[in-house]
Amino acid sequence: MNREAAETARESLELVFRMSNILETGLDRHTLSVLIALCDIGLNPEALATLVKELRRDTTTPTTTTTLD
Amino acid sequence: MEDDEQQKKADLLQELVLRLVTQNPQTPNLDPNSPAFLEKLRYAFRILNSRLTPSVAPDATAIAESLKRRLATQGKSSDALAFADLYTKFASKTGPGSVNNKWALVYLLKIVSDDRKSAINGLDSSFLLPNLGFGDGFLRGGEAKKKDWENGVLLVSQDPENSWDEKEKAFRDYAVVVKKENEVNEEVLVRDVLYACQGIDGKYVKFNSEIDGYAIQDSVKVPRATRVMVRMLSELGWLFRKVKTFITESMDRFPAEEVGTVGQAFCAALQDELSVYYKLLAVLDARAMNPIPFVSEFASSDNYLTLRRLSLWFAEPMVKMRLMAVLVDKCKVLRGGAMAGAIHLHAQHGDWLVHDFMMNLLRCVCSPLFEMVRSWVLEGELEDTFGEFFVVGQPVKVDLLWREGYKLHPAMLPSFISPSLAQRILRTGKSINFLRVCCDDHGWADAASEAAAASGTTTRRGGLGYGETDALEHLVTEAAKRIDKHLLDVLYKRYKFKEHCLAIKRYLLLGQGDFVQYLMDIVGPKLSEPANNISSFELAGFLEAAIRASNAQYDDRDMLDRLRVKMMPHGSGDRGWDVFSLEYEARVPLDTVFTESVLSKYLRVFNFLWKLKRVEHALIGIWKTMKPNCITSNSFVKLQTSVKLQLLSALRRCQVLWNEMNHFVTNFQYYIMFEVLEVSWSNFSKEMEAAKDLDDLLAAHEKYLNAIVGKSLLGEQSQTIRESLFVLFELILRFRSHADRLYEGIYELQIRSKESGREKNKSEEPGSWISEGRKGLTQRAGEFLQSMSKDMDSIAKEYTSSLDGFLSLLPLQQSVDLKFLFFRLDFTEFYSRLHSKG
Repeated sequence: MNREAAETARESLELVFRMSNILETGLDRHTLSVLIALCDIGLNPEALATLVKELRRDTTTPTTTTTLD
Repeated sequence: MEDDEQQKKADLLQELVLRLVTQNPQTPNLDPNSPAFLEKLRYAFRILNSRLTPSVAPDATAIAESLKRRLATQGKSSDALAFADLYTKFASKTGPGSVNNKWALVYLLKIVSDDRKSAINGLDSSFLLPNLGFGDGFLRGGEAKKKDWENGVLLVSQDPENSWDEKEKAFRDYAVVVKKENEVNEEVLVRDVLYACQGIDGKYVKFNSEIDGYAIQDSVKVPRATRVMVRMLSELGWLFRKVKTFITESMDRFPAEEVGTVGQAFCAALQDELSVYYKLLAVLDARAMNPIPFVSEFASSDNYLTLRRLSLWFAEPMVKMRLMAVLVDKCKVLRGGAMAGAIHLHAQHGDWLVHDFMMNLLRCVCSPLFEMVRSWVLEGELEDTFGEFFVVGQPVKVDLLWREGYKLHPAMLPSFISPSLAQRILRTGKSINFLRVCCDDHGWADAASEAAAASGTTTRRGGLGYGETDALEHLVTEAAKRIDKHLLDVLYKRYKFKEHCLAIKRYLLLGQGDFVQYLMDIVGPKLSEPANNISSFELAGFLEAAIRASNAQYDDRDMLDRLRVKMMPHGSGDRGWDVFSLEYEARVPLDTVFTESVLSKYLRVFNFLWKLKRVEHALIGIWKTMKPNCITSNSFVKLQTSVKLQLLSALRRCQVLWNEMNHFVTNFQYYIMFEVLEVSWSNFSKEMEAAKDLDDLLAAHEKYLNAIVGKSLLGEQSQTIRESLFVLFELILRFRSHADRLYEGIYELQIRSKESGREKNKSEEPGSWISEGRKGLTQRAGEFLQSMSKDMDSIAKEYTSSLDGFLSLLPLQQSVDLKFLFFRLDFTEFYSRLHSKG
């Protein structure tokens, strides 16, 4: 990746991270980047979302405060 | 490539699972190679493979919008704005290194956050799992999950995930509610309204005579809004009914000749408009066949009709129909030009739609009127079977054709034709008719076609229309100008109007002095006899003789032929002087100017002038006999001095009186002949030159005659002064007879004295007073002279007093010229001093 592309990628990630924070999804940057890559490949977002939910499922305690970086 | 991708996918997935698991507080630090991890990985793969397609349309913006809205409704408006801002920036990033599948990402975020929310809110998260299996089938034919009224809002579905589904459910519930309230389908109502607008009762919308309109029957259950709407739309039907009834009624009445051509034209114009209206209704009918699509469905075509769409379609026809109904109301009782005028008043409107409509209507309505005007102005034809034109003709005798044959009918005058224009129209048509009938002239047709060419229209039908009032005015002006000129030309050249006027002046108004003198000389002695003894043939002979003897013989034979003697109807005691008059015969077409009344006025003036002339003649007669030198130079030496003195004084008194009378008569005659007659004549000549049409000419002549009558003291105000004048005339005539006697006596005396002088030696004749000799003669003479003097004195006194009376009345007269007469009569102030002395 050239510098420009890298720059764009970084900015996009930043934006998405901020959006996800507003929406209180609780995802961090790394996970988000993986998810982005998976979506770009063409995986079904619904499926991915379900996956995320399932793998987090055991957290029943309402820890409301998500970490806002 | 495929393998690469798959490998990548697997790697990423593994990475993801690892991260998520480590994040999960319950299972931290899981070894990637532990069986639990692998199990989870497999599970992940299973989930991924279970779904192939997403269930929502890939519209990233819509999802972002819904997210933003959700944030806003949650009260986090700043967050919502921030989110929107971020999304915009994110969406604008394109090119290498950016996220290609944006919507997927956003969708992902949405679902994850939803889940988090629901997890936080404590709802059952397994709620979501059924999505897995039911994804595709969910949209079509699903049931509403829950119905709840929350804060006045019908919460139809609580599925927060699928916004598209929400809308669908909402509309379906709405449909159910609507069906409950309406018994009748909207399509049926629309069709009924369309029927109503043609005046036909529909299934549910009928004409209700109580409220006088079309309405939905009360028995039908429809929401109030629909009822009101239908009522508003069917106003069009009510208006249509009104207009249609008017048209059919008029058509029925037409054979009875109550509806005129203008009314017919109006009905025709209305029917044209209605046919346009029918076309519109046909189009709407076709559209009403299309089913009304339900709100959420995507309409197959644009051409369906709801009540609301119908109201939009009807906006313009409603305006037009309302106008027509108003006009119909107005014109029910009007006809002809009045109808056109009323419609014209309505056309004064600012809205261009109304204005255009009214112009079209008026063009139709006024075409019969304009046609009538055109044919009247250019041909003099009045084709008006229904009495709608503002010019009415009456059958009259030929000589009254101009004055009374045609009149204006102001009730039928439309308001866009001004009264002066109407006058001009009337005059032009009258002139053509006059020329045709009275003058037997056909040159006017050329003038008419010239006029038409000059104003740009043709002499054929249909040249003019409404809205071209200027053109009409122009045409009328041109026609009027030419035809008037033609008429005056004909009158002056062919019928020698001016010459006739001059002839009248010369003969009837005693302008031809020598002729009058001769006539008086010849006719005078005859007229002193009683009227019964005089025959008009004799007088006619005398008239001829007089004409031949004077300069009048060189005049135009035609005019002399018209001069006649007229004996007025007389009683037994009248003398010839009272009944004699001249008359002038006026034939067609000049008798429009010289009507009976005009000629009688001339007659009056003639009588007056004739009297005056007679008096003058009498005085001149006395003058002829009054040769003072001849008498006094004769030797009256034989008479006694006293007689001589008496004689002289008598003579002197006679002369003095004669002078006074002469002074009066001369001045008065001068006044009449010059200041009245000549001045009026010159004024009249000037006006004749300036006259532009026959009306002007008539007015000028009338003025001329009235001026003469007024100034010569023949008017009504001058009654008293006229009487005193006639008294004076009487006195003068009496004086004449006295003077005649006096001079006769003197003359006889002269003869006697001469004879007595000569025949001194003659034998005496018995019974003759010559034989008395000189003494007898003197005595006789003395007596005679005494009686004469007495008479003379009495005449003189009477004369003075009458003249005084006359002079006192004179300044009271209106005319300025009479003041000059007064001055002249009394320039030495002889009479006023006399008056003031007592």
